[in-house]
Amino acid sequence: MGMAAGNGAAPATAVRRILALGGHDFTSRPPDRAVCELLLRLAAERGGERPKICILPTASGDTSEQIGRFYAAFGERPCEPSDVSLFRLGRRPMALRDHLLAQDLIYVGGGSLVNLLAVWEAHDIASILALAWRRGIVLAGQSAGAMCWFEAGITKSSGRPLAAAGLGMLGGSLCVHYNNEPERRAAYLAAVGDGMPDGYGLDDYAGLLWEGEGAPTAVTARRGARAYRVCNRDEQVSESPLPARFLPAPAPAALREDIAEFRRIKTMRKRAGWLG
Amino acid sequence: MKTVPRQIVAFGGGGFSMESGNPLLDDYVLGLTGAERPRVCFLPSASGDADHYIVRFYRAFSAHRCEASHISLFRREQGPEDLRRHLLSQDLIYVGGGSVVSLLGVWRAHGIDEILREAWESGVILCGLSAGSLCWFAEAVTGFHGAPRRLEGLGLLPFSNCVHYEPGSKRRESYHRFLREGMRAGYAAEDGAALHFTGTELSRVVASRPEARGYRLDVAGQRVVEMRIATTFLGERGVVPAAPVPEALSTAVAA
Repeated sequence: MGMAAGNGAAPATAVRRILALGGHDFTSRPPDRAVCELLLRLAAERGGERPKICILPTASGDTSEQIGRFYAAFGERPCEPSDVSLFRLGRRPMALRDHLLAQDLIYVGGGSLVNLLAVWEAHDIASILALAWRRGIVLAGQSAGAMCWFEAGITKSSGRPLAAAGLGMLGGSLCVHYNNEPERRAAYLAAVGDGMPDGYGLDDYAGLLWEGEGAPTAVTARRGARAYRVCNRDEQVSESPLPARFLPAPAPAALREDIAEFRRIKTMRKRAGWLG
Repeated sequence: MKTVPRQIVAFGGGGFSMESGNPLLDDYVLGLTGAERPRVCFLPSASGDADHYIVRFYRAFSAHRCEASHISLFRREQGPEDLRRHLLSQDLIYVGGGSVVSLLGVWRAHGIDEILREAWESGVILCGLSAGSLCWFAEAVTGFHGAPRRLEGLGLLPFSNCVHYEPGSKRRESYHRFLREGMRAGYAAEDGAALHFTGTELSRVVASRPEARGYRLDVAGQRVVEMRIATTFLGERGVVPAAPVPEALSTAVAA
């Protein structure tokens, strides 16, 4: 669906999209590349050939590491990457609202959910993100950057896993790193049993994509990584895995160049009549 | 029960964050503790707990002169679990520079604002530069996000505050305007000057550079009255301290 809204002048019918990821990194390993490819595709569906993708690394305290990895992953791809580092505005002032609303996809990095929401509140970012969402700008993120969109999540912002409220743009709750952090999963199951709204568990490299109204689509970038529906039925908390679409990893950057070169040569040969 | 003085030392700018090679302000706050090996905890929250800043703190507050620690609110799993107990057991709490808006947001989320008030009341000395100065006051002028603006701090000191109060700076101009628009009276400090409060009274102004000054600001009708405060230079007379190193400004230059 190519609604090339460009710079925020989106139609009233903009489809609201959020991609919540259980956990991933920005390395060159295949599952990470698959996640980046999905982010790029979602951004391109809105922004065309060179979509604008912005990272909000707030939950990490705007670490150079997180920002650097993001640029390493997207710098060479067909997109315009940028970052909004609220802790670094002193050195690089910017018009936050205008910048964020000009994006095609806003990606929220992982870290402390409690700090993320506290700093966003202090800078009044949540209302901008809600507006971005209504205008069809894709919102995405992993870990704290995934839980923040829900009513509630399980955070380790204070060390131990504890329940915390999110922005509530998506109904229900989310628990991330579901396969990798048994104590977080246990805290989530207990919390849902105790009245936290029903929701989802996401393994690392599993994700849920909301497009408009209705149920989300589950995706997975690594075999075996799953998304679960977690429900409380009559005091019994159940976990049921959701059928997920597998995201293949694109060829790595170096290989992509080789393939492009090969294709160029093939085209030249064709033109020269060397091949059928 | 012995009543302990409540003390805050608010730097306009300076200390290890901005004046590498000039430890006069840091030595001054360490000296105030009266402890042989003071317990000093660094709160780098305003920088987003930047690693390089934490490393520089430990270099400046080395183990032979104090017992240094820090609290990273972005990495709680690594630090002390009981923040309150840790902070209340310090002789000095040192707040770094950066974004004062983010600082206050994160502190409130972790209940640090309440703990710091309690620490202050129980005699733990509070200090800091830039954002780490503004935070203690009822009102402050922040210039971190471009155009200077007003904000509310923790309110331990019932005044307004402006840091990096250099002649001709935008902050200075904005502070005067805010005062005319009804901001409460307060204090400003240039880089290298520090306002030392005992209770809520300014007891003295000290400086790491001979020319650095602190100021009292009042409003009379529509007129701002700026009064330069006599300042004690902490170094030896006739000895000019090393000029601040420009790259050392990177973390804490604004608040």
